[in-house]
Amino acid sequence: MKAACIMQKEIRESILTPKGSLWYILTSMILSVLSYLFLTNSELSLLDQGQMLYMIMNFITALGVLMGLVFGADAFAGEIERGTLEALFLSPVTKVEIATGKLGAALANWGILFAISLPYLFVVGKGGQNLFVGIAYLAFLGTFLAITSSAFSMGLSSRIKSVKNSLIISFFIFLLAGSPIFLSAAQRGTWFGRIIDFINPFAGAINTFDSVVIDSQGFGYQAGRVATIFGYTLLSLWFLKRSVSRLEM
Amino acid sequence: MKRPILFLSMIFLAITANYATASAAHRITASIDPPIIQANMGDKITYVGTITNNSDEPVNNIIAYVSLANVTQGRESPMDLEDWSANKAIKVDTIPPHGTYKGQWPMRLIDSGSYVAYITVVDKNDNTPISSAMSRLEIKRVLRLNPNNVLPIAIGEPMIIGMILSLIAIRRRKRIK
Repeated sequence: MKAACIMQKEIRESILTPKGSLWYILTSMILSVLSYLFLTNSELSLLDQGQMLYMIMNFITALGVLMGLVFGADAFAGEIERGTLEALFLSPVTKVEIATGKLGAALANWGILFAISLPYLFVVGKGGQNLFVGIAYLAFLGTFLAITSSAFSMGLSSRIKSVKNSLIISFFIFLLAGSPIFLSAAQRGTWFGRIIDFINPFAGAINTFDSVVIDSQGFGYQAGRVATIFGYTLLSLWFLKRSVSRLEM
Repeated sequence: MKRPILFLSMIFLAITANYATASAAHRITASIDPPIIQANMGDKITYVGTITNNSDEPVNNIIAYVSLANVTQGRESPMDLEDWSANKAIKVDTIPPHGTYKGQWPMRLIDSGSYVAYITVVDKNDNTPISSAMSRLEIKRVLRLNPNNVLPIAIGEPMIIGMILSLIAIRRRKRIK
């Protein structure tokens, strides 16, 4: 209940402000441009349509992870820099409840992003292959990744106590997570590429989307990657709990 | 006198060798059904390949697979069947003497154009792979993409989000006042 109050406060301060909500209009505009460009290309096979759906899913996932990292970086370090953490600590809520509330707000942010993307996914994927199963995977894996990135970044923010440094480290990790995008198919086939793919939850998610939407493969193929992503989610939650319990003014 | 004998010997050898190859090839025959398919992009079809053992001996450990080639003018190329969700090679353990084996290759038609499909059977005891006759496949383009569908969303959604967020901001300001 107390965590829900913190979550409401965070949503009011970070999401429902004109500046905070600009993200959503921009996201929607980018998705509009992408979808329109995709759908005006008449020389497309069914496979290309799956590819379009896959690309939009990747974009939404990347955006969810990025926004999770930014939300997380500001969570505790921002409160410290604004001098508002003391007031928060004086209120009758535990540190874990504060962290849970902030994490809930970050998840609400992901939920809004996902809701914004749904009409575009339906329009782009209509008549193509694996639309609904793709959306289901995006909902699950996107949520896990949003929790992972937000919780990790929040933990980092409470340890480093500086928004700037938390953001720099978070962006560095985001680039590292997105590294499979920079690797060619041949490089990803090498032992190095395979290790990167295996240990990287973001790569796990995009490989799963590829496998589900384009290759029409079943859950048996995805189980390992889904388990890895879920493992990272648990690990990042543990990291957040441990970091927050050590947080002092 | 030697020359005609040599010439006749060479002809005899050539005929014998040719007969040997032909008999090996005819030990197994392959056919594909249906011989012609006309379908739309996105349809699912199934090719049935029949492998017949014409010999008096059983045939063991043969591999059969389907191949698809694009024969559309200017786009001629073999197709990667993984994209078409087609089954890969089928291993047949044994076909009894004068027996047949029927294999199925379902596939989803991904792209439009003119194609030919054929079954190839590989027997490790023979040097020559055996292919069936070609089945003609004509896939008609079905354009599911309609840019007009995306326009209301591409234009409308950012506007609706903007309006909702503006309303929330106005209500909050009024409350604060």
